[in-house]
Amino acid sequence: MDNKVKNYRTSQTKKTRSWRTLIPPCQVACPLHMEIGEYVDLVAQGKVMEALQVIREGNPFPSICAYVCTHPCEDACRRSQVDKPIAIRALKRFAVEFGGDRAQLLEAETTQSEKVAVVGSGPAGLACAYYLRKLGYPVTIFEAYSEPGGMLRVGIPQYRLPRHVVDTEVQRLIQMGVEIKTNTRVISLDLLFDMGYKAIFLTVGAHQSLRMGIEGEDSPGVIDGATFLREVNLGLKPSLGERVGVVGGGNVAIDAARATVRLGSKKVSILYRRSRAEMPASPSEIEQALEEGVEIMFLVAPMKVKRADGRLDVTCVKMELGEPDAGGRRRPVPIPGSEFTIEFDTLITAIGQAPQLSEDFRLRIGRGSTIQVDPVTLTTNRLGVFAGGDAVTGPATVTQALASGRQAAFRIDDYLRHRYPRVEREAEPALLGELSARTIEMIRKVERLEPPLVPPEARTKEFTTVELIYDWESAVNEARRCLRCGMGAEILFQDKCATCLTCLRVCSYHVPYLDGGGNIQIPAEQCLACGICVAECPARAIILRKPYDRRHIDEELEHALKSATESKSKPLIIGFCCQYGLFGTGTLAGLWRESKAGIWIVPVFCVAKLEEGHVLQAFEMGAEGVFIAGCGEQCSRENTAFWVLQRVEKVKKVLSQVGLEPERLQTFNLRTVEMDVAEALDNFTEQIGRLCLASVIKQEVKS
Amino acid sequence: MIVAEQKPVEEIRQVISPYEKVLLLGCGTCMTVCGAGGEQDVSFLHSALRLALTRGGGGSHSFLEYTVKRQCDFEFLDLIKDKVKEVDAILSLGCGIGVQVVAERFPDILVLPGINTSFMGMAKEWGVWDERCAACGDCRLAETAGICPITRCTKGMLNGPCAGTKNGKCEANKEMDCAWVLIYKRLERLQQLDKIRRYYPPRNFRVIPRPRRIVKKAEITTGGNNA
Repeated sequence: MDNKVKNYRTSQTKKTRSWRTLIPPCQVACPLHMEIGEYVDLVAQGKVMEALQVIREGNPFPSICAYVCTHPCEDACRRSQVDKPIAIRALKRFAVEFGGDRAQLLEAETTQSEKVAVVGSGPAGLACAYYLRKLGYPVTIFEAYSEPGGMLRVGIPQYRLPRHVVDTEVQRLIQMGVEIKTNTRVISLDLLFDMGYKAIFLTVGAHQSLRMGIEGEDSPGVIDGATFLREVNLGLKPSLGERVGVVGGGNVAIDAARATVRLGSKKVSILYRRSRAEMPASPSEIEQALEEGVEIMFLVAPMKVKRADGRLDVTCVKMELGEPDAGGRRRPVPIPGSEFTIEFDTLITAIGQAPQLSEDFRLRIGRGSTIQVDPVTLTTNRLGVFAGGDAVTGPATVTQALASGRQAAFRIDDYLRHRYPRVEREAEPALLGELSARTIEMIRKVERLEPPLVPPEARTKEFTTVELIYDWESAVNEARRCLRCGMGAEILFQDKCATCLTCLRVCSYHVPYLDGGGNIQIPAEQCLACGICVAECPARAIILRKPYDRRHIDEELEHALKSATESKSKPLIIGFCCQYGLFGTGTLAGLWRESKAGIWIVPVFCVAKLEEGHVLQAFEMGAEGVFIAGCGEQCSRENTAFWVLQRVEKVKKVLSQVGLEPERLQTFNLRTVEMDVAEALDNFTEQIGRLCLASVIKQEVKS
Repeated sequence: MIVAEQKPVEEIRQVISPYEKVLLLGCGTCMTVCGAGGEQDVSFLHSALRLALTRGGGGSHSFLEYTVKRQCDFEFLDLIKDKVKEVDAILSLGCGIGVQVVAERFPDILVLPGINTSFMGMAKEWGVWDERCAACGDCRLAETAGICPITRCTKGMLNGPCAGTKNGKCEANKEMDCAWVLIYKRLERLQQLDKIRRYYPPRNFRVIPRPRRIVKKAEITTGGNNA
């Protein structure tokens, strides 16, 4: 290509260099606003290291989230309108484990002089310390218990979050220069200021269990959930007896019940006053608890506890659901005369927790004993004191705490630098709207792949992790289910659009439509970014919001051809292979030839995005043969093979016109039973070799 | 809409062979819609020609590609007058009209056709186009229920069907509907079958002198200048 043409081409595409993706719902739902679509896609491409890099950018402690995140992103996932949401948390766990997160070292330099104190070493405190350290502040964390980690250590049981994960993260913080003082309870904030700290981040958590307010609650044998879990997690083995009751329906109740099973109690019952639909605990936790033999008694509330002969007689009452309360859940109402008594050896109460704050802090306290803060700046009523985590929100999730810690770090930075708070604004617009019924109908249902679990019999014996990690192929295929919300097609050049209706006719999902004014619209919330219309648009007016279309293939092809011409191996064969399929079908190894074989693979994000020009260009640059390898049936989009074959026919016509045998272009299916791809590729190479020889002889004869 | 198809690469190669620098000029209207000369087709032809060059080895060529909104208007062509100065020839991927308008606008440069303009028609579905109008200048569709026998009957009969119709298909092509059966069915549906019982005399082709011109502008002789 001569320079002029090249410059001309780039000047034409210059406008499209920046990404124009819309923020997908998963990212909006994530308290940390992680680029979920981005890393899920990278996992689908088999690029685990890159995926981890994206994860690390948005999350200070990805390995912790990979175990315990309650994944609000999965609740927001639009795939659930089709079948089931993407297993985002499990994919993150895969990326963290396979990408080698634990091996990464972090360093930070001290560039600021103002010391910051973080009170509490829970997720919010750790995150705040992490970001403050990155901003260059000297940070000290004060922790009342003997080990840092807060609820990560004393609240969450080991089978959900192994201790070594918390240890690694804490070690990394220490490496970054964060000072952690354990066994140090902060009793006065003034003292901290006197010690020279210029700002304080208060994140003491919510460790105080709420009382049920019933008779006999203080009897021996009744223990609150938070205390129980703390004792278990710090290594004690309280003796509970054979029959244990747990009151409550949240995650703490489930955690307590499952811990009790692991401590050897024979019969564990959860008493919950509403029904399963209202249970706030995460559904998968409930499911796993039931598998482990925990019994859940719904619509039951304890009324009275009586201690007799070393056991507890718990009088309960049956409930029914009445009118919805302010929170939208139906209020339980006792059924008169339905009282009954159950015998337990131990009763664990887990009906909620609240922060416990010293009066001496002189902080304004709000509902549920939480600290009142400005939601944007996290400032309290005292100058230089910021607060976050469960101490502000009441019991919430780890990810919310991390987000609040991060927010605090940036606001403390603003405060210490005497800046007006720079509140983050979403730079890109969010993707709104639901999938339409017409589109949903066309999306193939693909079963959600769950990571394997340790069987219930094995896991109730000890506190080891319940969930295992995906294998490579399942992770890639699970990630491929992603609908790629927000990166779909867009008519970039409205002035170029000839309203030829090609996009409307070729779309497998009925996404483009004609508006009342006779213009084509491609609604972003419907498009699944298969790229067929982009390649077919005769006016080239459509692009994908993320350059996964011809722009990406142009680059990859140029790169491959450059290395190919350098290596001079013969015969030169260019293979356009689906990047997702290479990993998802496990055929990458089969296609791998050493560079001397002359086979160069150009990865494409689905062969449907490959255009005739790319194939012609490969031949022009000296390729003797070209093959296109798609995923066939396994493709996550519809009709891609049809469009590939259309374009192949068009190219073959040109090939024969310029004196090249059409057999030099072939298509493979990466996933078929009938054909071994490696064998087919060998045959193809052989065939190309023969064709080359024949053409050389022909030329000899001519001359 | 005007429907056309690209000429074979071999033929295009031959016509451009004497010229070193060629502008491949697409058209953003009909030729884009019928997939013969839009930006994508220009780019495809460009790739194909470059491949042909590397295979043929004959002479050195370089190409520029550009697509204007419409080749059949001077004003759009004015936009490329600087580009035209750089090249030795223009290969127009516009219809026959486009080629001629480009030639008229740039009298000092050779314009070559890259397309065979085929007919006026419609897209039946993606990738399939059907002829619908012959531009005879004397529209009789009112009498034939909106189905044109001039274009859709192989013989162009004004009084059909002929004896070659069989099961509603034409004797010339068993895949093709007999236009007159379609006309009959549609008239029946509209309850206007009496129209088919009439005899339509042959049309007088001599009343259409070529080239045709339509003047919509009224001739103003006095008072045009507020005088």
